[in-house]
Amino acid sequence: MKRLVALLAASVLAAACSGGADTITVYSGRTENLVGPLLERFTAETGIDVEVRYGQSADLALLIDQEGDRSPADVFISQSPGATGFLAERGRLRPLGAEVLDLVPAPYRSRGGLWVGLSGRIRTLVYNTERVDPADLPASVFDLVDERYRGRLAVAPANGSFQDFVTVLRERYGDDVALEWLRGIAANDPQRYPKNTAIVQAVGRGDVDLGLVNHYYALRAKAEDPDLPVENYFFPDGDLGSLLIVTAAGVVSTTEEPDLAERLVRFLLDEEAQTFFAEQTFEYPLAAGVEPPAVLPPLASIEVATYDLDRLGGGLERTKELIDASGLEGP
Amino acid sequence: MRAGSKGPDPRRRRRGDAVTPLAVAVAVLYAFPILYLAWRTLTLGGDVLAILSSPRTLVPLANSLRVAAATAVACAVVGTGLAWLVVRTDLPGRRWWRILLPLPLVVPSFVGATALLAAFGRGGLLPFVPRIEGFWGAFGVLTALSYPYVYVPVAARLSSTAPSLEEAARLLGRRPTGVVLRVVLPQVRGAIAAGTMLVFLYGLSDFGAVSLMRYDTITRAIFSARLFDPATSLTLGLLLALLALIVAGAERLVSPRRRPPARVGTGQVRYRLGRLAVPATGAVVGVVAVALAAPIAVFVAWVLRGSATVGAGFGGLGDGLGFLLRPTANSAIAAVVAGATATLVTLPVAYAAARGGGWAANAAAALVTHVFALPGLVVALAVVFWAIRAPGPLGYLYQTFPLLVLGYVLHFGAQAMRTTQAALAEVSRRYDEAGRTLGAGARRRFVAIELPLVVPGLLAGGGLVLLSTLKELPATLLLAPTGFETLATRIWGAAEDGFYAEVGITSLVLVGLSALLTWFLVLRHELRR
Repeated sequence: MKRLVALLAASVLAAACSGGADTITVYSGRTENLVGPLLERFTAETGIDVEVRYGQSADLALLIDQEGDRSPADVFISQSPGATGFLAERGRLRPLGAEVLDLVPAPYRSRGGLWVGLSGRIRTLVYNTERVDPADLPASVFDLVDERYRGRLAVAPANGSFQDFVTVLRERYGDDVALEWLRGIAANDPQRYPKNTAIVQAVGRGDVDLGLVNHYYALRAKAEDPDLPVENYFFPDGDLGSLLIVTAAGVVSTTEEPDLAERLVRFLLDEEAQTFFAEQTFEYPLAAGVEPPAVLPPLASIEVATYDLDRLGGGLERTKELIDASGLEGP
Repeated sequence: MRAGSKGPDPRRRRRGDAVTPLAVAVAVLYAFPILYLAWRTLTLGGDVLAILSSPRTLVPLANSLRVAAATAVACAVVGTGLAWLVVRTDLPGRRWWRILLPLPLVVPSFVGATALLAAFGRGGLLPFVPRIEGFWGAFGVLTALSYPYVYVPVAARLSSTAPSLEEAARLLGRRPTGVVLRVVLPQVRGAIAAGTMLVFLYGLSDFGAVSLMRYDTITRAIFSARLFDPATSLTLGLLLALLALIVAGAERLVSPRRRPPARVGTGQVRYRLGRLAVPATGAVVGVVAVALAAPIAVFVAWVLRGSATVGAGFGGLGDGLGFLLRPTANSAIAAVVAGATATLVTLPVAYAAARGGGWAANAAAALVTHVFALPGLVVALAVVFWAIRAPGPLGYLYQTFPLLVLGYVLHFGAQAMRTTQAALAEVSRRYDEAGRTLGAGARRRFVAIELPLVVPGLLAGGGLVLLSTLKELPATLLLAPTGFETLATRIWGAAEDGFYAEVGITSLVLVGLSALLTWFLVLRHELRR
């Protein structure tokens, strides 16, 4: 018991001492498995201590918003552009320097220079290989409203990446087309799930045939269970259904260590970090010329989800309104 | 019944009244979450009436109430039945059951639901057992994970009732069922009511289990709107808080004021099950199989599968379990401190409500109780909201251990308070009167007479808070000192990205730690007697 108390005292003390020179605080919507090793490498190479608070991207964005001027966060790492967009809209991100922005090709960063993409995941249709003949898979995400997919499709309307997809749908084709697609899916007896992992597990068990998710989850599930009868299907020919969703990083506007914070963001765009994303997390690297994993279609053939919030009428709030209006989520 | 207890006695104030100011002071703390919700709802300027009257609110709200009520009733039956079997009968292996039965409470609901979905049905460990989703799925998972809210306080109460009444009833020729219904049940009904209320409020607050069971509730609407439709999210949070406040307040009004002539003592009557031993054992085994053995089997299966897969990217297991040492220590300390603090902090409220019962004491008790119906994220954001605005040195508490404990105490205080209150209510006032006759002062009477008699209730309440804290997520993620990891946050992080082997091993450690802690801190004292 005494040792436990000592441990606790040590951790409380460590927390109290943070905020000194050469320590930065990261709020990370990417979980420890997907970014922790890189943050440790950063400390080892630069001597800068990194304190990390992990959580859901949306919750951490809310937290930074609520903390206001007193936010301890220096860097925000988000699992999807929605949460970053929320903070950007509220003026809580600080413009990044050109030397950071230039590391990432223009489609993978914010037009206002407030955040950069770190890695990418693409939207995909995961399917059960025992229940679905690949010849029956749709050529386009728009075909999922067809009668032949009635009751067979799993969706996660509350999921950030699904909402990002809807936002890009709006930007490319307008709110009417987006709403029509949402209504079409909602009318086709979709199976609603709370999140991507739940969809891939359900497809694997054969509870449902198809699911709209990010490509990561089926690869991850098969890494632990190679016999799981699931496979990713990538919509061909640059279809919007295979949209690339970036995971993003930005520097919080109230940081007292902007240089150290940018240094971390730059580190995450280096070859070492980008290789980690390609090899360890099955994602698309977005910088440093690192090649994506071989199981994924080439990046050049894929649409990218960077939307311009200034041009997008009603912002992300409008996306939520459309999903609500379509009846895809809730009654 | 003494005439004096019917109305205020002009010569003597009721004992609880002296504590009421302290109780009210404590309750003010518990008003901060609802004040946050009200303030934010009003300042955001959303169309509150439109939000409240929309079917998008009413349908999920009705679903929430339905599943919470059904779960509460089921848990009342299951929890009470189990408590009676293991405490008051000669059920085989009852010592072991007493260690195992509280444990499902420590399984985070999203993990419990994921595991039960993986346990049963096509593609599961037991393919021949049907998989259930929707209302019945949510009802099943919530019942399996939350019956301990009833079981723990009722078992504590049953192990401290005096045998004399039951013996008298039996001598008078009552059959055993009659004795249980007429003598035993009335003595524990306060504990049953307290536990049932906790289950109901927990059912309202849950998001993990109901969402994975694909049952649409009000918490889904609150979560899904939190970023891009805050007016809806906060209005619905306020609605939930007000509803819970009304339910908690109304419970006091409808519950019978006349208290049974309960005694406290040791050396209970133990009933012989005889031929009923087989079905009774079957029932206990059944509950433990679904609520504990099935999730544990799935955890083990995940660990074996993950560690057998080359390149599974599962860092931890290869290097041993060292990576879980620090989170285990953090979890244990946070849970013990939260359990003890919540019990102490809510004691005056429980005392004032049980012994005084004026409107101020009842309002204080309702305030403490209602916070438990709020989703953890709402409570955590409320604490952030006020802590970040706190003046002067209070502001430095932000994201420190004491603030984290405060978050736990706010969210889970109801568990300690209701359990303690039920225990106090059933301690006969005659003991206190005897002490007074002998000239003992108020403080001495409380410490020497009442406190020892309610120790089982205090331990049970603290134990519930301890188990709840062990699995707590949102407050830990948002309020803990940066970098403070617990077993629950590790489980969440691994589950979020599909690292099931890591979810499995960490969950097994969590269940093991809970068994150890409940044994050392709660059960050891009871079982020794």
